Amino acid sequence: MTTTTAAASQKQKAIREPNAKRQEAVAGLGFTLPALLILVVFLILPLFVAGYFSLTDWNGRTPLTNPTAYEYIGFQNYQRLLIDGRRVDDFYNAFKNTFYYAFGVIPTQTIIALVLAVIVNQRWLRGRGIFRTAFYFPSITSSIVVSMIFLFMFSNTGPVNGALRALFPNFQNVSWLTDNNGVIHNILGLIGITADTVPALTETEIFRISIWEWISGPSVAMFTIMVLAIWTTIGTMMVVYLAALQNIPSQVYEAAQVDGATAWQTFRRITLPLLKPTTFFVVTLGLIGTFQVFDQIYILQSNVTHRTTMSIAYLVYDQAFKTDPNMGRATAIAITLFVIIFIATLLQRRFVGGDRSET
Amino acid sequence: MRKSFLLMALAALLMLAGAVSAQDQVTLEVWTGSSSPVENDFKTAQVAAFMEANPNITVNLLIAPDYGTLIQAALASGDYPDVFTVGQFDLPSYVDSGVLMPAGDSIENVDDIYPSLLEAFTGPDGEVYAVPKDFSTLGLLYNKDLFDAAGVEYPTADWTWDDMRAAAQAIADLGQEGVTGFSAGADINRWLAFFYGNGAVIADDEGMSGVNSEAGVAALDFYSGFVRDGIGALPSDLNGSGWNGEAFGRGLAGMTVEGNWAIGYLNEQFPELNWGVAEIPMSPAGMRSSLTFTEGWAVGASTENPEEAWALVNFMTGSEGAADVATAGFGVMPARSSSGEAWITTRGEEYQPFVSAAEYAVAPVFPLGFGDFNTAFVEATNDVMAGTADPQAALDEVADVWNEIQAEQ
Repeated sequence: MTTTTAAASQKQKAIREPNAKRQEAVAGLGFTLPALLILVVFLILPLFVAGYFSLTDWNGRTPLTNPTAYEYIGFQNYQRLLIDGRRVDDFYNAFKNTFYYAFGVIPTQTIIALVLAVIVNQRWLRGRGIFRTAFYFPSITSSIVVSMIFLFMFSNTGPVNGALRALFPNFQNVSWLTDNNGVIHNILGLIGITADTVPALTETEIFRISIWEWISGPSVAMFTIMVLAIWTTIGTMMVVYLAALQNIPSQVYEAAQVDGATAWQTFRRITLPLLKPTTFFVVTLGLIGTFQVFDQIYILQSNVTHRTTMSIAYLVYDQAFKTDPNMGRATAIAITLFVIIFIATLLQRRFVGGDRSET
Repeated sequence: MRKSFLLMALAALLMLAGAVSAQDQVTLEVWTGSSSPVENDFKTAQVAAFMEANPNITVNLLIAPDYGTLIQAALASGDYPDVFTVGQFDLPSYVDSGVLMPAGDSIENVDDIYPSLLEAFTGPDGEVYAVPKDFSTLGLLYNKDLFDAAGVEYPTADWTWDDMRAAAQAIADLGQEGVTGFSAGADINRWLAFFYGNGAVIADDEGMSGVNSEAGVAALDFYSGFVRDGIGALPSDLNGSGWNGEAFGRGLAGMTVEGNWAIGYLNEQFPELNWGVAEIPMSPAGMRSSLTFTEGWAVGASTENPEEAWALVNFMTGSEGAADVATAGFGVMPARSSSGEAWITTRGEEYQPFVSAAEYAVAPVFPLGFGDFNTAFVEATNDVMAGTADPQAALDEVADVWNEIQAEQ
């Protein structure tokens, strides 16, 4: 008797199982649907729409209800933007600025965030809460407000120049916000290398930008924006590192102590490798954030520094909403930016490596 | 069953009510950008007065802070307001997009409006697409205390470029620390006043660029010469000023070229400053110019109530509307010459040069499709003012861009 009932229930279970699975799937889909819908409507669909408009000559202003609002022009926008347009230097100039920006900001903010996280994670540190709050504070403040504060601090008569003058009596005021000279250009100038001493570099142009301009680094104005970006993001990155640090089991450190490892060895051989996935995460966030830099530049750039502080994301806005707008070109830049970030993330995955199995 | 019948009856009743009220009740969507609180209040009051005079028209006024982006998105969707404001720089692309309704003969007493302003709102087909509500012009602002210290007579309407240079030289020669003769902002919307004043044109009759003509180069050479020769400076080099007005207000420049928007700013921020305004000096060609900046009310091409929309536009920009602008007490001037006197009475006799400039000033708007030319022109101006390019070479390059675009079209 019992065996038959058992067999029956087994059979029943087998029948019910696919049904339950389907129910589970339906429930799962139901639960994810709101988020999925939002993703599709506000993220995936616009991505494809932008991709489509990048192949048209729509100006972004003519009503789409108008049958002659735009024409399909194939890859002309990309060709003019990247290969042989009259203003081909617009994109490469923005690319150069964004490149210097990203590769100045990412390593600096990652290293400072790691150091700060390790410090505020120390048991012997008194008032850790205060330090954690202080370091995190810039990150939760509106970037517009922070930018306004920087406008004040770095103005010609602002506290930064004042402090530098007090420290070095011979210091000449630097126009932190309006100086278009490249930082590397200035450093080379100190050791006597100027644009005039290397005419070959100023005469040769790649994409209508002279080699000297390519290598002269971020302008002083851009440098100020980089300082601002580093200052505001290290807080967030520090919190991420802090969470990761507290996840490292203390037994590992105790074992290292028993083995007689020095503090540096512990940091180098235990902390750093165990933080590798976090580093990957922090650097990826940094990459995406820096390549998309917009609001700080929107506030801090001026007519005079328009060119040397132009980032790719700002160029998208500039092309889409100026008085003679070109939405086709703007979306082409946006798609190109997407491709750049995608490739950069793939590359850094190779170099930093985010795979947990490797660690 | 009964419930649904009731619902249907209710719905029918509502629709009927809607249809009845729609017959005599018209609603207009009106959008504009946000500016000073005084000006926003003024617009709100104007609309309220209009609704009172026309009880059958309801106006939904939207004063938006980020107006440019908002209106562009609305236009793109095809669902845009009945009446909205348009700046002179945006007009060519709006006309090209077909979103503005041509005025035809809807504008009330059109001869009273300054022709230079109407021209800024005229499309390539000769139709007027927006009615100017107010405008600004450029004048030569001068610091009376610095002129007195240098022993130079105040600028008059007879002043020439040479007089201006001599005055800048004399003020620079005072040797006051951080003070210069002329604050020269690196901006095409300032130095083009000298460009047009010297008889230069952006494009000649054949459509070829005139920016690198002798007159054009001479104008940029004159303007940048102040900085080059050390008798003038960029505002950013005048103790880090953000713009001409700030440098001038802080007493760091004897002269500068700015518009009537500076009146309120200077009088509020720098009440101690002893300053005056004159017309832009005469060029060697024996003429002068200035620049106008204007904004107008336009009727959307898709409106279902064009008659009511134009009635509103005429109410706001007509003789009475202009008179209200004149006495409202904000910086801009009314677009009708009949109200010029009223504005001067309100603001003060000393600001007459801004109104006088309306007779000869030019709206510095370039045709559609010449965006690259605009960018090149701005960059060339920056380079010349920073001293890294020579006016002739820089303007030659700008002219090449124009001619290249012209050839493609």
